[in-house]
Amino acid sequence: MIIEIRTKEKYAKNEEAGFIGRMAHAGLKVKAARLSRLYRVEAPFSRAEFGRLGADLLTDKITEHYSLSQWRPGLKKAWRVEVWLKDSVTDVVGESVKGAIADMLGKEPETVRFGHAYYVACESEVKLRHAVARTLVNETVNKFRIGKI
Amino acid sequence: MKDKLANFNSLPKKELEALDRAAGWSLNLTELSEVQRQFRKMGRQPARGELETIAQTWSEHCKHKTFSGPVIFRAGAKVKRYKNLFKETIVKATRSLNRKWCLSVFTDNAGIVEFGKTGKWGLAFKAETHNHPCAVEPYGGAETGVGGVIRDILGVGLGAKPVLNTDTFCFGRLDTKKRLPKNALAPGRVMRGVVEGVRDYGNRIGIPTAAGGLYFDDGYLLNPLVYVGCAGLIPVDKIGKRVIPGDLIVSIGGRTGRDGIHGATFSSANIDEETTASAVQIGHAVNEKKALDVLMRARDLGLYNAVTDCGAGGFSSAIGELGSETGARVRLDKALLKDTRIEPWEIWVSESQERMILSVPKAKLRRLAAILDAENCEYCVLGEFPGDGRLLVTHGEERIVDLPMAFLHGGVPNFEKPAEARKVKISCKPPAAPKGGYAKVLADLLAHPNVCSRHSVITQYDHEVQGGTVGKPLQGRYGDGPGDAAVIWPQAATLDLKDFSGFAVAHGFAPAVGRIDPYQMALHSIDEAVRNLLCSGADISRTAILDNFCAASPRDPRVMGDLVLAAEGCYDGAMAYGAPFISGKDSFYNQSRDADGKEYPIPISLLISATAPVEDVRRSVTMNFKEPGNPVFLAGVSLRGMGGAVYGEIIACANNAVAPLDMKAAVKLYSAIARAMRSGCVVAAHDVSQGGLAVTLAEMAFSGGLGAELDLTGASREDGLTPVELLFGESPARLVLEVDKSRETEFLRLVKGLPVAEIGRVNEEPELSVHDGGEALFSSDIGALKASWKKELI
Amino acid sequence: MKRPKAIVLRGTATNCDIETANSFRYTGAEPELVHINQLLAGEKKVLDYDLMAFPGGFSYGDDISAGKIYAVKMAKLAKDFERFIKDRRPVIGICNGFQILVKTGFLPENRGNAQVATLYTNDCGHFLAKWIKLKVNPKSPCIFTKGLPAEIELPMAHGEGKFIMEDKARLAALVKSELHALTYVENPNGSMLDIAGITNAAGTCFGLMPHPERNFFPWQNPDRPAARAAEAAGFQFFRNAVEYVR
Repeated sequence: MIIEIRTKEKYAKNEEAGFIGRMAHAGLKVKAARLSRLYRVEAPFSRAEFGRLGADLLTDKITEHYSLSQWRPGLKKAWRVEVWLKDSVTDVVGESVKGAIADMLGKEPETVRFGHAYYVACESEVKLRHAVARTLVNETVNKFRIGKI
Repeated sequence: MKDKLANFNSLPKKELEALDRAAGWSLNLTELSEVQRQFRKMGRQPARGELETIAQTWSEHCKHKTFSGPVIFRAGAKVKRYKNLFKETIVKATRSLNRKWCLSVFTDNAGIVEFGKTGKWGLAFKAETHNHPCAVEPYGGAETGVGGVIRDILGVGLGAKPVLNTDTFCFGRLDTKKRLPKNALAPGRVMRGVVEGVRDYGNRIGIPTAAGGLYFDDGYLLNPLVYVGCAGLIPVDKIGKRVIPGDLIVSIGGRTGRDGIHGATFSSANIDEETTASAVQIGHAVNEKKALDVLMRARDLGLYNAVTDCGAGGFSSAIGELGSETGARVRLDKALLKDTRIEPWEIWVSESQERMILSVPKAKLRRLAAILDAENCEYCVLGEFPGDGRLLVTHGEERIVDLPMAFLHGGVPNFEKPAEARKVKISCKPPAAPKGGYAKVLADLLAHPNVCSRHSVITQYDHEVQGGTVGKPLQGRYGDGPGDAAVIWPQAATLDLKDFSGFAVAHGFAPAVGRIDPYQMALHSIDEAVRNLLCSGADISRTAILDNFCAASPRDPRVMGDLVLAAEGCYDGAMAYGAPFISGKDSFYNQSRDADGKEYPIPISLLISATAPVEDVRRSVTMNFKEPGNPVFLAGVSLRGMGGAVYGEIIACANNAVAPLDMKAAVKLYSAIARAMRSGCVVAAHDVSQGGLAVTLAEMAFSGGLGAELDLTGASREDGLTPVELLFGESPARLVLEVDKSRETEFLRLVKGLPVAEIGRVNEEPELSVHDGGEALFSSDIGALKASWKKELI
Repeated sequence: MKRPKAIVLRGTATNCDIETANSFRYTGAEPELVHINQLLAGEKKVLDYDLMAFPGGFSYGDDISAGKIYAVKMAKLAKDFERFIKDRRPVIGICNGFQILVKTGFLPENRGNAQVATLYTNDCGHFLAKWIKLKVNPKSPCIFTKGLPAEIELPMAHGEGKFIMEDKARLAALVKSELHALTYVENPNGSMLDIAGITNAAGTCFGLMPHPERNFFPWQNPDRPAARAAEAAGFQFFRNAVEYVR
C-alpha cells in the first residue's frame, strides 16, 4: 500500500516555488508543480488500518491531506515523477516510520519505504527527464520513473 | 572468478592483476605476490574472506602506505631519502617537543590533550576526509563522513563525548567555465548536497557544527574535498583500553548490509565511470545518537574494557584491531543484518555505518544489554577475544578467515617512491596600481567566493546545541561577523557550571600558496591556525594541531615532491611554534579524467586544524570593532609578494612571489600579544588572511557597525612594498587589534620593541578610510562594504 | 530551601536535554533526565515531579514531521500529562519540545486535547539557526516570561517553526486571552501573527521555538558588550518556573 501525503494547497506555495526554482536552475521551465510524500507500507493491514496511519500518523492534520490511492491534481500537460531510494540503500525515514507504526498499531510492517512524487506541468518529458537527472535524483542511490498524467 | 580464487597461489602476474580488478581490492602486484608467498608457505589456498580481509587491512585507507613509506626526494642536485616520511617529519616533531599535556598521540582513533584545570578531563580531536563518496553522492557522502569522524571520537579510549564538529569544504568555482565530463556533478550541486548532508547529520545528532571553512577553486572541480572533524571530552581515567581474553565481541548501533561493501579500497582508486553504487551510503544519525547515549552511560559504569568504531574495513578492521594481540573468534551468523542477500565474507568487510565494537566482560553483558534496550539501540554478540592470537571467523560451518593476527598486522610490502620538487617560475615584479582604484578592488575582494560571508551555509547548521558555543562562527553586533575561531565551553560534557575552562578550534588552509611553494604553504597554514586561536584569546603556548593532507596520485613524483616539502614545512612549523601534531590523516588519488580524457589532479591541499585551551571562556575575544575612540593596531611586518593572494584572481597580477614566514619573529610577537590579551586590554582581534589587510579592517568595521580613520604610515613593512601589497597582499603573521582606550599605555608596554603600530582610531562615523603617509588609499561606507560581502552562497 | 524536582524528558535524539537540565539545576531545581521508555515501562512517573521540560532536539529524527513520533509515544500516557498540567505544575516545551506539545494537542489548550495548530516548515524551506529579537507580551499569564524586559534576544534553531492555526476564531481567542507570550520582532519563519511562543490560560504550560537555555549565561551572547550583562534573558525563564513551585 502506498499512502500519499500532500500539503493543502494554501500552504504549498513555498515548497512548489522552491521546486520550480530548482528545476529552473537545471534549465527547465515549469509552469506549475504539485508535490507529495509517499510511504510504501508493506503489511497485511486492513484498509481501515492503513487509513488510520494516513490520518493519525503520517499527516499533519492542519496542513496536509492523505490518500490511499494516487492523487490526481488538476494539471494539464503534466507528468508525474516518482522518486525512491534504491532498495539496496538504507531508508532512514522508512525505518523510523516502521517503528512508529508499531507504536501506534501494536504490529510492525515488513517494510516501509519513503519517497516523493512531483507532478510537473512543463514543455516535454525529455526536458523534464534531463532536469530531474541534473538536480532531483542521483542514480547512484535513487530510482525514479516518469509517467504522463 | 571462483576458479581463479581456487588456484590463487599459482596465478601468473597478469591474472593476479585481473583478479584484483574484478574483486576491487586495489592491491598492487608486489602485495599480491606477497600474499601468494604467505599462503604457499602455509600450504593452502586463501579463502575469499581472507583475501578480502587482507585487501582491507593493507589498503591505503587503513595503512597509509604512501605517507608512511620510503621516499627518495630530489630537488636539483640535492637528494634526500626517507624510510618513513610520516615518522621523520610529523611524528618526529611531536616526539621532539614531548609535551606533557599530550595524553595520547597517533596511537588511538584521535589525539588527546589535557583539558581544563581540574586534571579530570582530556580533549580528543580528530579530522578526516570523505572526498570520493562526496564526489559521487554529495549528500550521503557528507553525512557518512560526519558520522565516521564522530565515531572516531566515540571510539577513542573508552569513548569521548563529542562537543564540536568542524567542516572544511573545497569545491570547483560555482561559475566555472570548464566543461565537465559526463559522470561529474556540477559544483553547485555538490556544494548543496554536502552542506545539506552535514546539516542533517550534525543537527540530528546534536553536536554543534561551529568551525571550518569553504574554499572555491577549479582544481577541485572533479574532486571536491570534504574535511570533517570532531572534538570530544573524555575523563582522563577512561583513556586507556585493553581487551581482556575472554571478553565478548559486541556490535552496537546499525545493522550490517550490502550497502557498505568496498569503501576502503574505493578510497585508494581513482574515480572513474565504473564507480559502483554499493560504495555510497546514506547516513543514519539517529542510530548513531542511540549508540552515543548508550556508550556515555556504559562507559561511566565501566561496562566494557575496550571500544572502537567500525570504519573502513568494517568488522574486519575493527575486530582485527581490538583483537590484534588476543586474537578473535567471530561467528558472522550472529550479526544483525539489513537484508539476507549477503555473502558471509561481505558481512565481514561491509562498511555499513553507525556501528561500534565493544569488548565486554561476560559478567557485565546483562547490565550493558539493559542500557541498550532502554535506548532502543540494537546489538549483537559476535563472538569473543580468546587470547590465542588467532583470527577465526566462521559463518555456520563455513570458515571465512583462519589466520594468525600477526599475518595481517605484520609487514605490508612497501617500496620506495620517487619524489621531485616541482619547477615553478617566480616573478617578483612589483604589482601595478589597479585601474579602478583601491575602493573598487576592496569591494570586489569582499564579494569574492573565497572571502564573502558564509552565513547562508553556517545558519543551516545548529552551531549552538549543547549551549557551549561561546566563540561563534557568526559574531559581533549583528551576529553576522566572521569569527576567527570557535570557542567551546563544554558544559554538556562536564556538567560543571562553575568551571569556565574552554577550548578554541581554528584552521589554516592555503592551497593557492601550495601551487607555488608547498613548504611555505605548510608554514602559512600552521601560522594562520595559530593566529586565529590567538585572536580568540586562547593560550597558544599549548596549541595542538592535526594534519590532513589531500593530494593527487602519488605515482606522480611531483605530487610526492609536494608532499615531502609540505611535510618538512609541518615539521619546521610545529617545532618553531611548539605545537605538536596529535593526529592526522591523508587522502591520495584525488584526481580524475576531465571531459577531454586528460588527468585532472587537485593541488596539494593541507588542512591544519588547531586547538588550544581558553582559560576563561567569559573573557574570550571577538573580531568586531567595539567602541568609538579606541585605538587600532596592526601587528606584524607586511612583506612583498602577491603569490597565493585572492587579489590575483580578480586582477591580473604578474607577481607570484610568496612572502616567506619568519617563524621566530612570529612566535615572539604572538607571545607578547597573548600577554596583552590575557591582561584584558585587547577588545577585538582579527587575523589578516584571505584578501589581505583591507578585508580584515572592513570586516572588523562592518561587524561592529563602526567606522575607522586609519593611517598606515607607522606600519612595519619590507622596503619597496607597494600599496597593493600593503592592502591586499597576504603575507603571514599579521593581525589587527583594537585596544581599550583607557589601557593603551599598558598595551604599549606589553608590546614594546615589537612591530606593533597604532594605525588610527575606531569611529562612530560609518566610514572606513585608510591613508598611507600623504596618500589617501581609499574611503568606503561600511554599509556598502557589508553589502558587497554579504553574498548568498547557497 | 526546597529544591523542586524537574523531569527533563528525553527519547532518541532529544539533543538539548543536558543543557536544559543544567539550566534547571543552576536555578535551584533538581533535574532528572527521564527517557520516554522509562515512563512507558512504568519505572518512572511524571506525577512524582514538580516541573517538566520537553527539551529541544530531533526526537526520533523528526521523521514524518517534527515531534510527531514522540507525540505518538506519549499517547498512552496522556492521562498523567493531563493531570500534571491541570495541577498547574509548570511545563516548558522548547523548540522540538514545543512541537511535541502542539502535536499532542496540549498547546494551544483545548478541551479534548486535539491538535488545533501546527509548526510547519519555515518559509525559507530549511533549518535556520540565528539570534533573533523577541517581544515579550507583558499581559500574558505566562509564568515563565514574568518580569522580562519588553524586548529580549534568544537564538533560534529549527526547520519547522512556522506557527499555523487554522481556525480564525480560535486564534482570535488565543490572542484575546494574551496567550501569545512571545512574538518575533522580525518574523523568521512565516508564523501567523509572528507567534514564537504560547501558553495555556493558567500560564503554566508554555511552548516556544527559540532556546532560552542557550542565552542562559551572558557569555553565550554573540555580541561581547551584551555578554557583560549581569543576567541573560533565558536565565529568567527557568528561575521564574523554579520560584513558582517553591
